[in-house]
Order: sequence, then C-alpha cells, then structure tokens
Amino acid sequence: MTQTVDVDERSSQLDSSVAMDASTSVTHRSAKVRTFAFTFGIAFTLLYTVFERLNWPLFTYQPAAGRLYFWLHRPLSGEGPPMYWYGWIVNAAIAAFVVGWIATTISGQWLRRATVFCCTLGALWPAALAALRIYITDWATFDADFLDSVWVAAPPAFVAAAAITYFVPSRLAERVWTSWLLIVPIGGLVVLGYSLLQYFVR
Amino acid sequence: MDIIFSVIREDTFWRILLFCHFLVAVALLAAVTLQAASVLTSARQVAGNFIDRFSPVPAASYAAVIVLLYMPQALLGAWIYLKYRLYVRIPMEQLRHWWTLGAFEFKEHIIAMGIGLFPAYWYLWRQPLSDEDANLRRWLTVFLAVTVWYAFGAGHVANDFRGIGS
Repeated sequence: MTQTVDVDERSSQLDSSVAMDASTSVTHRSAKVRTFAFTFGIAFTLLYTVFERLNWPLFTYQPAAGRLYFWLHRPLSGEGPPMYWYGWIVNAAIAAFVVGWIATTISGQWLRRATVFCCTLGALWPAALAALRIYITDWATFDADFLDSVWVAAPPAFVAAAAITYFVPSRLAERVWTSWLLIVPIGGLVVLGYSLLQYFVR
Repeated sequence: MDIIFSVIREDTFWRILLFCHFLVAVALLAAVTLQAASVLTSARQVAGNFIDRFSPVPAASYAAVIVLLYMPQALLGAWIYLKYRLYVRIPMEQLRHWWTLGAFEFKEHIIAMGIGLFPAYWYLWRQPLSDEDANLRRWLTVFLAVTVWYAFGAGHVANDFRGIGS
C-alpha cells in the first residue's frame, strides 16, 4: 500500500515535471517566434528602403521581353521598361529572413543593441551622404567629386552609429525595441516619399 | 496562359483579374477598417470617453480574415502590376499624369511595408492576445489599415486612368 502511494506520488511528480517542461518549451518557442516576427518586420522595412534607394534588386524583370536577369539590369534597346520592385521585395525578404533567424540565436540584450545600431546606421548613412553632397556643392574649394559616394559616407556613419549604440542605456534599448516596428516603416516611407517628390512638383 | 487565352480574349482576362483585385480589396478594406475602428474605440472606452453605445465585434475576429486576404491580394496586385507597367504607366508618362504616377509609385512602397510587417501582425493577433503588446498591436493594425486605404485609393485613381470602365 505504502509502495503504491509512493509510486503514485512519484508518477504525479513526473507528470507535473513533464507538463512544466512542455509549458516552458511552448513559452520558449513563442518567444522565438516573437523575436523572429518582430526582427523580420524591422529588418524588412529598413532593408527595403535601403535596397530601393541604392537600387539593389535581386533580379530585374523585363515584362515586354519576358526576360529575367539576375541583379540590376539596365534595359537594352527594344527591351522595354525594366521592373525592379519584385527584386527589391525578394531581396529584402531573403535578407530579413536571415536577420530574423540570426536574431533568434543571439541573446536579447545583443539583439536590442544590434537593432539600435542598424536603425541608427540606416538613418545616419544617408544623412552623411547628404551632408557630403552639400559640402561638395556649397563649401569645397577643390574638386571634391570623389567624395560623392555611398562608401565614403559609410565610415563616419558607422562610427557615429557605434558611438550612439554604446551610449544608449540598456533599459532604453529594451523599452523601444518593439517601437522600431513602427518607427522604421514610417521613417522608410518618409524617405521613399521624399524621393518621389519629383513627380509632384513638375 | 495560352489555354486561358484560347477560351477568353487576353484583355478580358486581365479585366476579370482586375475586377477580382477590386472585390478582394473591398473585402479587405472592410475588414481592416472595422478592426482599426475596433482597436481605437476600445482604447477610448477604456479611457472613459464617449461612444459607449458602440459595441464593436471583437477586433481579433477580423485578424484571420485579414491574414487570409492580405497576402493573396498583394500577390494578385503584383501579377496585375506586370500589365500596369506596360499598358498603363507608359501612357501615363506620355500624357504627363505625374501625380497619378507618383501616387502609384508610393503605393508600391506602402504595400511592401505592409508585407514586411505582416508576420508581426499575425503574431500580435495570435490567441491568447498578450497585454504586453496591446499598444503595438493597436498601432500596427492602424498602420496596416492606412496601407490598405492608400493602396485602394491610388489603385482606384490608376484604374480611372486606364482600367475597367475608363
């Protein structure tokens, strides 16, 4: 009788332990899905803006000729207009998928820091390029056209983004992490909308 | 495609597709608008404001419909976009309809943003809803509603230029 009670108790402890393990596993998986979905959203919207501005499609489709080219293809004569939009979306989706997957493998603290760095870099890089262009046209006393390059603007933007990331308190980085999901697409749309201004001021 | 075009004319096929795009857009528009209204009014009711008599359908009920409609609608639009690029955009440029063209270009971007945010939207509306993300869920829903409304408006204007009944 005593043995039976012991076995029952042990079995009940085992059941509750298995249930707790299952519950922990479900919570852990849900947290990973959350990290992936949010990071994908932030990365996709940021990368789509970057790829569109730099014109980096994964492929170019020529609808009139029915041809598909890898990466950027300037149309040959008689090929008709090219379509890059599909290529930007697929490129951003693949890159964001990889970023999202990496996000699920690193610690939350690193992820939040990396998000601050990438989003700050996304804002500072074009800002540095714009500043360089203003310098070239309005201030430079020598032929400074070689400075008009996205790669020249990269180092100061990287350094500034790294400095900002270093000085942002962990608590703030954690608190604003989900807010990037709204800040980045809205910011991206402002940038992309501004680039379309030419259509509205003709 | 050749089999389809042996049954119906090519332009008729694209018009049917465009009409389907319109029908799905109307359904999607209704769902996102009701959901956005629901999340915004529930926030007001919690804050103790007016609209007490308005008791909306729980916002979560629309999520499944939106998930089912948004991506197929985006894919359908992406398919029709092939014809837009050749048969609508070029005349638009020639006739200098720059505002319509610019508005449609922006539609491409706003839809791309919506596609990117879709996994997060889906996660946020999964049951049980988390209280932690309530605010984010509300504003992401509103953002998605704005994308659908804008896309509908810009698409409608482009259709008026060259589409069904134009």
